[in-house]
Amino acid sequence: MKIKGKKIADISVMIAGKAGDGVLFTGNVLAKILKRQGWWVSTYRDFPSNIRGEPTNYTIRASLEKIYGQADDIDVFMAFDCGAIIDHADKIVKGGIFLCDGLGLAHVAPSRIDGRTYHIFPLRKLARENFQSELYKNMIALGALSHILDLDFRVIEGIISETFLKRKGKKIVRKNIRAVRLGCQQAKKMIEQEEIHPLVEKKDSGRLLLSGNEAIAMGSLAAGCRYFAAYPICPATEIWQWLAVVLPEYNGLVIQTEDELAALNMALGASYAGARAMTSTSGPGASLMMEAFSLAGMAEIPVVVAHVQRVGPSTGMPTKTEQSDLDQWVYGSHGEFPRIVLSPGTIEECFEFTVKAFNLAEKYQCPVILLTEQDYGQNLRTVKKFDLTKVKIDRGKLLNQEELEGIKDYRRYKFTPDGISPRALPGMKNGLHMVESNEHDQNGYRDEDSENRIRMMQKRMRKLENAAKDLIPPRVWGDRESEFGIIGFGSTFGPIQEAIAQLKDRKIRAKYMQIRTLWPFPRKKVEEFLDSCKEVFVVENNFTGQLGQLIRSQVQMPIRIKNILKYSSQAFRPQEISSQIQMAVR
Amino acid sequence: MKKDKDFHLSDPTWCAGCGIYGIFASLKKAAVALDLDPEELVLVTGIGCHGRLNNHFKAYGFHALHGRALPVAQGVKLSNPSLPVVAISGDGDAYSIGLGHFIHALRRNINITYLVVDNRLYALTQGQSSPTSHRGYVSASAPYGTKENPLDGPRLALASGGTFIARGFSGNPKQLASLIEKGMTHRGFSFIEVLSPCVTQNKVNTIQWFRENITQIDEDPKYDPRNRTQAQGKLTHEGKIQVGLIYVDDKPSYEDLVMPDRDNPLVWNDLNPDIERFEKIMEKFQ
Repeated sequence: MKIKGKKIADISVMIAGKAGDGVLFTGNVLAKILKRQGWWVSTYRDFPSNIRGEPTNYTIRASLEKIYGQADDIDVFMAFDCGAIIDHADKIVKGGIFLCDGLGLAHVAPSRIDGRTYHIFPLRKLARENFQSELYKNMIALGALSHILDLDFRVIEGIISETFLKRKGKKIVRKNIRAVRLGCQQAKKMIEQEEIHPLVEKKDSGRLLLSGNEAIAMGSLAAGCRYFAAYPICPATEIWQWLAVVLPEYNGLVIQTEDELAALNMALGASYAGARAMTSTSGPGASLMMEAFSLAGMAEIPVVVAHVQRVGPSTGMPTKTEQSDLDQWVYGSHGEFPRIVLSPGTIEECFEFTVKAFNLAEKYQCPVILLTEQDYGQNLRTVKKFDLTKVKIDRGKLLNQEELEGIKDYRRYKFTPDGISPRALPGMKNGLHMVESNEHDQNGYRDEDSENRIRMMQKRMRKLENAAKDLIPPRVWGDRESEFGIIGFGSTFGPIQEAIAQLKDRKIRAKYMQIRTLWPFPRKKVEEFLDSCKEVFVVENNFTGQLGQLIRSQVQMPIRIKNILKYSSQAFRPQEISSQIQMAVR
Repeated sequence: MKKDKDFHLSDPTWCAGCGIYGIFASLKKAAVALDLDPEELVLVTGIGCHGRLNNHFKAYGFHALHGRALPVAQGVKLSNPSLPVVAISGDGDAYSIGLGHFIHALRRNINITYLVVDNRLYALTQGQSSPTSHRGYVSASAPYGTKENPLDGPRLALASGGTFIARGFSGNPKQLASLIEKGMTHRGFSFIEVLSPCVTQNKVNTIQWFRENITQIDEDPKYDPRNRTQAQGKLTHEGKIQVGLIYVDDKPSYEDLVMPDRDNPLVWNDLNPDIERFEKIMEKFQ
């Protein structure tokens, strides 16, 4: 909560309108300006699965501290129509400011209700009168925001020029800059000095502003992924779209498949032939991939699947966030086979875990799932530049031609102490073998003998027995001495961190375990954590508490955990976690 | 020069008289004629009796899931275009559970060869109707006769933009080998449907029945396989089943369009990140 006249350390600006209004565009320009002014930025989009007409809003949060999600309140609200007032008025903090295009209404005096100021700001009228096109309403809105936030005009000009120069030319750049100035002047006229929320300018230290999907795409490029096959699906498609531009420059290939069945099977074909291959998907697409997921396990083919979760079941809410597909990957598909499911919680982890995923897939010759969510999949966050010197490519027991020729009686699925067999690629001399979806012998040929079946099952399942050293361990945050524990995975990272800070202000100390590898389940570490807590809360964006159930099924000790669940299609706000914990522990 | 036996891994165990023996022999002949090496050839099969080809044919083999031979084969080829890739499916594999892949493979035109072994039923699961069973065909799954109309693979292939469409007969391995050889040298997706009797389950479409019901498309001296209208006419004409090279087109293959750097298959790329180049990519996000 912000108090007027005080220095602003954290601010949230919501831009609302209807799909097609340019809400995302305006918000992204604002996010970039704030990032360039040296602030940590985190955006939150709440869009319908619709191109035009339905209500949509986008929140841009900026802070002097690093942030990983949305705040509890909105400070500044810019609406392209009045309908948004009804939907979001309750989220605006006292002392907040609300600007709304009256859609034809002339300027009326601002009204103050409950400590918030409401202004009618005729965006479209100004755009029509000055630029003969309503399109300019977005830049006029940005101009008004630049006054309220006291933004640096040079930064704005720079970003507008970057945005429009190549695509539209100098004339359009100048016109857009004029629109921003006009918006700023109009805002100056109607908004009193005490209503503005001026931000201090800091130094932009070359940080990046990007989404989790983009970070996964960049991570896969860095990891040497050269083959990407996918079918369009919200909210995962940005991974593909980024790679579609970049991979061909690296002698790589991105292919659009007829469905998700083909996407994963093609990736498996490519990986079998020696490429580092990947696909991306979401809810229903993942269900189609379940068939080939099992093939990857049986045939021991490395592959990476990035799953950006959306709201289910069924088509659900394709552009909104949820954590309800944990079960799908941890337990999904037919038969039993080794698999690895990683859960990044931040944009940095999206990059790092993707690199890791490719190494794990090849080292353990099994499918690796990167389970993320629409929340940080599509929303932008500020991160430090990725450190490429830390990227190491480990192709595991992949043989080169010379090594293969040195092996007498090569067997692709040779029984080895660690269960992992040296891998030859088709086309290599002395490596002839079969890859079977049926149960097979050490050469890969179909074999239905029970004795062989037992040994082959044990060989495959043994691969991950000693993998703990390579997997990403859970991380503990907060006050380690505390007896109140919180457990979560994925996008709850940000809100839980902030909830802990809020609880601290209320004299409640808590700690937090972030589960980063969902499978193989880090049983020992979780048991230690549970053992050190009097009370444990598992925070999840789903109805049934899938992580809670996973914990219950895996730990070998009596436990009592409480679930804090949210399945409204929206990510957690910190207060929703801290207030529930506060109530429970008091 | 290789011989047939160089591709012979073991003696097959299909039912005596099964059409797949003829396909096995034709494939070996084609591989010999093309002077291939077993270690450079990749054979991807689907689920069905044909799937056992991999157990007996000496090459790199991939026995995929039911209906998914094509996606796997296309993935292999795009990663390493230097490998000759042959995918094989049955009529259930290709025209039922994998039909979506078939049509899109035709559109995509990746340089692989696809054989569809058509015995007009599901043999491995004991004789249910398939998409090529004729209407009224009595089977384990249709005791009162199949109610659906049969699908015609080559006609569908022509409509889907196929660039090499042929139909062979397992009872004529010499012609089939020559069709496979032509298909494998075609620059693009080559599709060959192979009529292949199932001696155990199908008592209607027997080898004798096929012999009586097929006709050679090139018996018509005016027939030009590069003429789409003629091909259309032959395939839609009621009467005997047309066998031979039906249609050829010189559209660019998928690889021609996306992989100008054919000499350097992406599987042999150096994967270590070029840090300077990556820094430039990151700049775009600043």
